[in-house]
Amino acid sequence: MSIEIKMAWRNLWRNPRRTVLSAAAIAFAGTLLVFMLSWQFGAYESMINSSVKINTGHLQIQAKGYQENSDIRLEIPDPESLISFLEKLGDVEAYTSRAIAFSLASSEDRTYGAAVVGIDPDQEVRVSTIKRMIRKGSYLSSSDTNQALVGKLLARNLSAGVGDELTLLGQGLDGSIAATVVQVKGIYSSGMDEFDRSSIQLPLNYFQTVYTMRGGVHKIVVNVKSLDCVSAVKKRIAEKLTTVDSKKPLVVLDWKELNPGLVQSITMDLASGAIFYLILIIVSGFSIMNTFLMSVFERTKEFGVLMAIGTAPGRLIKVLLIESTLLTLAGVVISMVSGAAITLYFQIHGFDFAGASELLNQYGVSGRMYTRLTPVSLLAGPITVMAVTFITALPPAMRIRRLKIVEAISFQ
Amino acid sequence: MHFKLPWRNLWRNPRRTLIIMAAVIIGVWSMVFLSALMRGMSENMFENGISILTGDLQIHQKGYRSDPVIENSMSNPGEVKRVLAETLPEGARWASRIRVNAIAQNARHSAGITFVGVDPDKEKYVSFIKPAAVSEGKYLSEGDQRRILVGKALLEKFETRIGHKIVIMAQDTNGEIASKAFRIGGVFRSELSSTEKQYVFVSKDAAKELLRLSSGISEFAVLLEDHKRVDQIAGRIAEKLPEGYEVHTWKDLLPMMKAWTAMIDGFNLIWYVVVFIAMGFGIINTLLMAVYERMREFGMLKALGMKPVWIIRNVLCESFYILFLGIVIGDIIGLLSLAPLFQSGLDLSAMAVGAEMAGLSRVIFPSLNPNDMILANTVVLFSGLLVTLYPAVEAARITPVEAMMKT
Amino acid sequence: MKIVESINVSKTYQQGKVAVNALKNVNLTIEKGEFMALAGPSGSGKTTLLNLIGGLDLPGEGKIIVNGNDYSKMNPSQLAELRLFKIGFVFQAYNLIPVLSAVENVEYVMLLQGAPEKERKEKAERILDEVGLGDKYSRRPNELSGGQQQRVAVARAIVSNPAIVLADEPTANLDSKTGDGLLTLMKKINEKKQVTFIFSTHDRMVMEYAARMVHIRDGQVAEDTKK
Repeated sequence: MSIEIKMAWRNLWRNPRRTVLSAAAIAFAGTLLVFMLSWQFGAYESMINSSVKINTGHLQIQAKGYQENSDIRLEIPDPESLISFLEKLGDVEAYTSRAIAFSLASSEDRTYGAAVVGIDPDQEVRVSTIKRMIRKGSYLSSSDTNQALVGKLLARNLSAGVGDELTLLGQGLDGSIAATVVQVKGIYSSGMDEFDRSSIQLPLNYFQTVYTMRGGVHKIVVNVKSLDCVSAVKKRIAEKLTTVDSKKPLVVLDWKELNPGLVQSITMDLASGAIFYLILIIVSGFSIMNTFLMSVFERTKEFGVLMAIGTAPGRLIKVLLIESTLLTLAGVVISMVSGAAITLYFQIHGFDFAGASELLNQYGVSGRMYTRLTPVSLLAGPITVMAVTFITALPPAMRIRRLKIVEAISFQ
Repeated sequence: MHFKLPWRNLWRNPRRTLIIMAAVIIGVWSMVFLSALMRGMSENMFENGISILTGDLQIHQKGYRSDPVIENSMSNPGEVKRVLAETLPEGARWASRIRVNAIAQNARHSAGITFVGVDPDKEKYVSFIKPAAVSEGKYLSEGDQRRILVGKALLEKFETRIGHKIVIMAQDTNGEIASKAFRIGGVFRSELSSTEKQYVFVSKDAAKELLRLSSGISEFAVLLEDHKRVDQIAGRIAEKLPEGYEVHTWKDLLPMMKAWTAMIDGFNLIWYVVVFIAMGFGIINTLLMAVYERMREFGMLKALGMKPVWIIRNVLCESFYILFLGIVIGDIIGLLSLAPLFQSGLDLSAMAVGAEMAGLSRVIFPSLNPNDMILANTVVLFSGLLVTLYPAVEAARITPVEAMMKT
Repeated sequence: MKIVESINVSKTYQQGKVAVNALKNVNLTIEKGEFMALAGPSGSGKTTLLNLIGGLDLPGEGKIIVNGNDYSKMNPSQLAELRLFKIGFVFQAYNLIPVLSAVENVEYVMLLQGAPEKERKEKAERILDEVGLGDKYSRRPNELSGGQQQRVAVARAIVSNPAIVLADEPTANLDSKTGDGLLTLMKKINEKKQVTFIFSTHDRMVMEYAARMVHIRDGQVAEDTKK
């Protein structure tokens, strides 16, 4: 161990109380940052996952313009060729086709507008969580025809229960009136009010017959192995789409484009979080700046003696900077350990957010929140704290250069 | 003398005093600035929330809330009007509406919407749907039979124009599907594009005709001058109304917003505490240092007969000066930094969709709530003095002999 | 052989708003191996002169030449190097590095000089033995008495075989018996190794030990006596 490190370490323990308090200040800020970032990442992940799982999937193939303007005529006329392409594509975990038509849904004495969605019962299970969200009745099977799943809030508005009949009235692809009577087979609840209030699911084959889709669909929803391979798969699909001969051009959209609100909510939250964190770090920096300043100030005489016997100022600055680095490092390591410990606890046990669950549901987060410790959430905060405290320690250390030996020696 | 001595001690090491004061200033500034922004957001959310037809409170027929259909409308609105006339304080406004879920359709598009029949002359005082919100065409007039107001976003979605027709289909009082074509007489804008897509407005008479309704009303919405009195007034109205009605405040009607508001309040407090802890470490450390290097002095003062309580008071007084100056300067800088935002607002258009998910407008104006500022200042001042007790007691415990041995 | 030459040295300090003439036209020559004291009341300028000889400060006018080196022609890092190799310092008190043990304090100078670790340790221990602290190698300064601390300071000052040791009031914080012991030690080193010792002091005992006494009064040499 070099003499500088030895001296720096021992200097720290000349005033243990001050050192401990300063390290605690750093540890406090660091711990908070690790935890808060992990908390945000956890929230984002569950927001993304649930939105992807309940609704959008990672990628969707649609006719151009369908996302902005869900016109029944903006269809994918020949989904089969795309599906056989997807089947051979690596990294694709699951895919399913959906067709959607806005319709009037009437129960015995109620009428509401709803998005009627044709789903492929077998494929849909692999892509979305709808089967697990069934609260009453049961999920569709591939042999079903005029059976329907209804969102909980819509079912309540229609005062319809399992087994009741609903009349659907809409417009087919060819402009003809599409009308049918379906039986409620299951009622689901996703927690997202918007979704639960406005959707009815039918088997895709039956939907295509009723709405004269002639085999066409509106969306092919694709899930990939993990979020990381979304862009690669998207690119390969996009290449394929340019070769597909379709009356209306087809596009592939990723989950960010499908959920612009979600992405912006996350950006907004991260940005405002960053402002708060920065202020916290600056306040902490000022809080411990005095420690560095004082530890230089009160040792003025000692520095004078050291310089008198021939120590170069650079060597003393080195000792001081090692000192502040050791102090910061101690605080930062503590913060990483305690931050990780707290985070891991809540990663396993979760937070009960009873009070805000209604709020969180709308973002697709269920009543319990789980933190998510990632390398970024573990390191970003502590490293920033470390950098800022190092900068804080520079001006006091640089004072050594301006020190006059004679004045320093006689400093009382 | 008691106040002069600590003040002079403070400036024995001006650099140290200024540094710790800077920590307090930045902390207090962040409290003032960020809480005004958060408060601005929450008020913006609140105003958007209640202006989108909710108002401060609403009166419905019992059962309407869980099953909002035309059968659950009030058959005798006259008695509600009488109660409102008796109970509402000056400055409060109310409007009654007919409101059903319906389908809007034109040749190319259809969508589920909320069809609202209003008294234009009353409505304009209660909710956002007033002449100023109409960007093209004209506001509704009393008894308008054929004109309909639609939102800009719906207009675009339907690829239609002012003067064109739009068909509204809804279930009438007999349970039949009634439909009627309206002419788009005006286009309204709203802070939130979801509102522009959700609602269409006609005169109450036009709605009655479509729904075959004689005198029924779906809801009364009341806007108060003083939003804080909502619970009290809602209680009074509920008391006077006969059986069969329900009174709901915005807190019941917009549970999301209530949760947001509570979260923002809670968040502000947590932020105050976090910032305080961060600067608390610095305050303790700085004063400990200041006290330690003056130990001889304290010992001497004690030898001269100074009581420990006086020493504590001296140290607390020093801390008070730091905190007080830090708070005042922090407040001033906070106000100065907010000033331009009061003028121009904080532009969130880059994240408009995300903002809208939270019910926020595209531009947010900060809102300075004296209570937030007082709370922030109090937290800093009192907790600051509280942590100062540690160094103060350390100083007071020294005995003259010990102190003289220190160098 | 001349080891220190002070030629027409003047020095003025700015103290607050007042200019203080600390030294006025001081001419002094010190020979190698002298054991001499600069005496005078506080404020007389003796410490200033000592600091100038040590290269801690530069004269306003005149020249200081130590061991053939003219300070006015040297930059600060050359001065530091000179101090490191040729000059040892012993200060009034508290001049050890508090976080280093006795042996580490002595080693530190050799470390600055770039001596290899093994040599440092051996030599430091040997010197500590010489000054009578053979059993206190690993004590920290705050675990040593005032006299022992000054012995470590002397050990540190002589470890690099300097030409001069400058001692500013070395006995001021010691009782007379301890001071006597310290002076005996320094005298012994002076005789054995021919190291020049220059003291600044107003301690009568130091003056008794000194072979030459230079009295400084109001910044000028008032009296120069050799025993």
